[in-house]
Amino acid sequence: MTSKAPTALAVALALAVGGVMPATAQGPIRIGASLSLTGTYAKLGKNQHEGYQLCEKEVNGKGGLLGRKVQFVVYDDQSMPATAVRLYEKLITEDMVDAIMGPYSSPVTEAAVNVTEKYKKVMVAPLAATTSIFKKGRKYIFMVISPAEVYLEGLVDMAAKRGLKTVAVVNEDTLFSKAAASGAVELAKKKGMQVVFTEAYPKGNTDFSALLTKIKAANPDVIAAATYFDDAVALTRQMKELNVNPKMYGVTVGGDLPEFYDTLKQNAEYIYGATQWEHTLPYAGNQEWFESYKKEFAHDPSYHSAAGYAGCLVYAEAAKRANSLDADKVREQLLKLEMRTIFGDYKVDADGFQVAHKMVTFQWQKEKKVTVWPDDLSKGKPLFPTPAWTGR
Amino acid sequence: MNVVVTPAMLGQVIISGILSGALYAMVALGLGLIFGVMRVINIAHGPLLMLGSYTTYFLYAHFGINPLLTVPIAMAVLFVVGVLLQRGLVFRVVDAPELSSLLLTFGISIMLVNLAQLAFTSDLRAVEYITGSWLVGGLAFSKPRMIAFVFAAAVTALSFLVLKFTRLGKAIRATSQSREVAMVCGVDVGRIHMLTFGFASALAAAGGALLAVIVAIQPEMGGVWTFKSFLVIVLGGAGNYPGALVGGLLLGLVEQVASLFLTTQLSEVVAYVLLVLVLLVRPSGLLGGRQT
Amino acid sequence: MAAAILSVLAALAAYPVVGTGYGVRSVQQIFMWIALAGSWNLISGLTGYVSFGHVAFFGAGAYAGAILVASAGWPWPLAALAGGAAAVVLAVVIGYPCLRLKGPYFAIAMLGLNEVLRALVSYFEGLTGGGNGLSLPTLDASVPIYYVMGVLAVVVTAMSWLIVTSRFGLRLMTIREDEVAAEAMGIDTFHHKLAALLLSAVGPGVAGALMARDQGYIEPISVFPLAITVTMIVMALFGGKGTVFGPVLGAAALFVAQEIVWARYPYVHPLLFGAIIVGVVLLMPRGVLGLLQQRYRLPRTI
Repeated sequence: MTSKAPTALAVALALAVGGVMPATAQGPIRIGASLSLTGTYAKLGKNQHEGYQLCEKEVNGKGGLLGRKVQFVVYDDQSMPATAVRLYEKLITEDMVDAIMGPYSSPVTEAAVNVTEKYKKVMVAPLAATTSIFKKGRKYIFMVISPAEVYLEGLVDMAAKRGLKTVAVVNEDTLFSKAAASGAVELAKKKGMQVVFTEAYPKGNTDFSALLTKIKAANPDVIAAATYFDDAVALTRQMKELNVNPKMYGVTVGGDLPEFYDTLKQNAEYIYGATQWEHTLPYAGNQEWFESYKKEFAHDPSYHSAAGYAGCLVYAEAAKRANSLDADKVREQLLKLEMRTIFGDYKVDADGFQVAHKMVTFQWQKEKKVTVWPDDLSKGKPLFPTPAWTGR
Repeated sequence: MNVVVTPAMLGQVIISGILSGALYAMVALGLGLIFGVMRVINIAHGPLLMLGSYTTYFLYAHFGINPLLTVPIAMAVLFVVGVLLQRGLVFRVVDAPELSSLLLTFGISIMLVNLAQLAFTSDLRAVEYITGSWLVGGLAFSKPRMIAFVFAAAVTALSFLVLKFTRLGKAIRATSQSREVAMVCGVDVGRIHMLTFGFASALAAAGGALLAVIVAIQPEMGGVWTFKSFLVIVLGGAGNYPGALVGGLLLGLVEQVASLFLTTQLSEVVAYVLLVLVLLVRPSGLLGGRQT
Repeated sequence: MAAAILSVLAALAAYPVVGTGYGVRSVQQIFMWIALAGSWNLISGLTGYVSFGHVAFFGAGAYAGAILVASAGWPWPLAALAGGAAAVVLAVVIGYPCLRLKGPYFAIAMLGLNEVLRALVSYFEGLTGGGNGLSLPTLDASVPIYYVMGVLAVVVTAMSWLIVTSRFGLRLMTIREDEVAAEAMGIDTFHHKLAALLLSAVGPGVAGALMARDQGYIEPISVFPLAITVTMIVMALFGGKGTVFGPVLGAAALFVAQEIVWARYPYVHPLLFGAIIVGVVLLMPRGVLGLLQQRYRLPRTI
């Protein structure tokens, strides 16, 4: 038995990995992607998936792409880069998909892109915001959202305009948050502000007492925090507990989710946040898209949904203009393309790095996110300065 | 980094350290009791704490019950869960080699975390009950942490009284000193094992319920608590129940002071180095072990 | 039996010629899990000292290997060996204080170890890239890595066989059955346990460095997940701890099941792993291979 078992397993495996037939040319255009449907990023990965689904529906509704229907082939990478690498290899070498779309998050994209480059596949990566991914001489990867470095730009810019002098920058020690923090530090220095405190804390940290005690002693005018959702909530709660009172306080990711306000209630008031997209932004068709998304999936979209949707449209447009799915021809079009979707503008430089899309900064005012920056997209004025916790 | 530490800052983190230290002590006492009585390290101790947090969240979010009133309810619920776990699974490995009990409770802990994930999803939950702080001089006393501290101190004190003066407590201590002698003296050791496991789970649940008002709740929150509880026991001395109090406060202080002078990230490393040092130099704990 | 093993090895050696990129990578992953589960088995299956943190050796190897490739320009096979060496150094640092003691100290110290390494890797960002991770120069070496990983799996399994059939292995198992008695018999238990730990750290260290090279990008969170430890424990237990071929069987069976069946039920899969651990500990402590050994009177040394 023991001597036969490995042989049987090897045979079973060979059958399993060799059993998928390649698609015929007449069938639909199959677009492969691995997404974080479970694990750390499950929630955001799901929104991105829904963005892809809506794009698929819309493209097919308009007669498909190059005369063929479009069909997504999606696997779950459990939010693990290693799994995503294997799945993209599977999509390309086993499933023989016709095109590739990006996964969720910067670390996963950074790992997966090694596979897509190896097989010379174009990958529009709608949810990778880290500059370095696109600046390593890779040929076939394209960026859709604004880079992490500019997430806190609005906060710093508004603070500098109001004559604030000092800023403390803290961040979760992960790829995206680090980039956002270093961008904030650079920009603050450029605007003549003094960076009085910086510190990174580990992912999953729940106790910010000592960190905030140090910030309180440094007494900055502005606290800029490059966060995800859970740390944004914990940091805010503990700022109140330790009575830390900056004139402006802003976070990056997570501050834009409705759950942020639901969790913190009125303690979320006055907090600034940054987002890639809001349904209230004046892009053509934005509001209608928002409504149809809600109808389709019975919940509000996040910017991840919109970016996924827009990234997929960008790829479809480039393929249409190239009149081909050939990687080099599509790449050429993607480099030239200038396009405005409900998500905003798309235009990349020679590295595939996004240069046209704009971030917006909002502030929580009376249970609502009010866009306060940049001026050409803003809907209201920031409430400034933020009152002390004891005076609310 | 680029901040000079002042006495006021030190005072502030010492307050934080003491406040979290009491929680550590209470939760670790549970782990220590199981180890003392059964020679089993319950890897699922942290996940049981997580279930305590969800009990509070559930009662608060769906029935609007005051989170502080949910502390005894969570303790009762987890007492039952603990007894069932002991009766159903753990009792079978009490006399088995350590490997079996460690792996069994490890398996249980993975199951609990993933069951919670299925039941509650991995979305963050929060019990927004009391926020803010009392300001005394330049120092801030966080309201939720103060409340948690008072509760934890009371529960821990009560537990010591039970251990010291009741028949049950004496039987528990006797069993942890020598099971054979306890049996000879007429103690029903099987029953003591069951009650101890339930009692220890209730202590974890109390920690979870109190933590729910301080930090956000998610299925994986318990993992670090198994390790921290063990660290507290090692610091205080295994089998030395009052040692848990000293160990808990010490761990709370070390973490906070390390975060102040170094970074939040390195405080984990400092706590770990402390564990390794104690194991090297004084493995019986700072107070010496096994003197109940 | 020897002929069967040789023919399986020959088939696996020929596989990259016919396999797709994904197929090659999947079999390479099976090799990796065989090496990891087999290594865990060396310390935990033989001495009974449970390691809840073997991923720390894997991660240490990954970082050591990746740094040497990215910063010092070492060729990756050499960096993989260095990854194994780094894991051994870590094993000395952690084994020396914790293995002198009996009882669960080692188990819990290992439980906290990967968190600590993650913090250290993040902190020393000049060397490791911190939370930004570390990118290696692009290189398509999946077929050579397939072979090296395969050799690693064979080496770890052969090492297990040599140990199980040696006096050294017998002493380790004596420690597992009754450590006090082992001491009374004059066995230097501390040094035996330490030696077992060092041997069990090599495989994960090399595997980590190979994984880093293969993937081309590593970062602290994906290199030190508890899930890797859990998976290797489940595989070793399921196949049969303390046996030579148990971890091989467990790794192959569970990996294939995971890829083919459980990938469709992502939420249930980790729950199932917990259930397997509980079930195996209570119902078949020597795993599938142990059952087979009993039923068919197979030799103890498989």
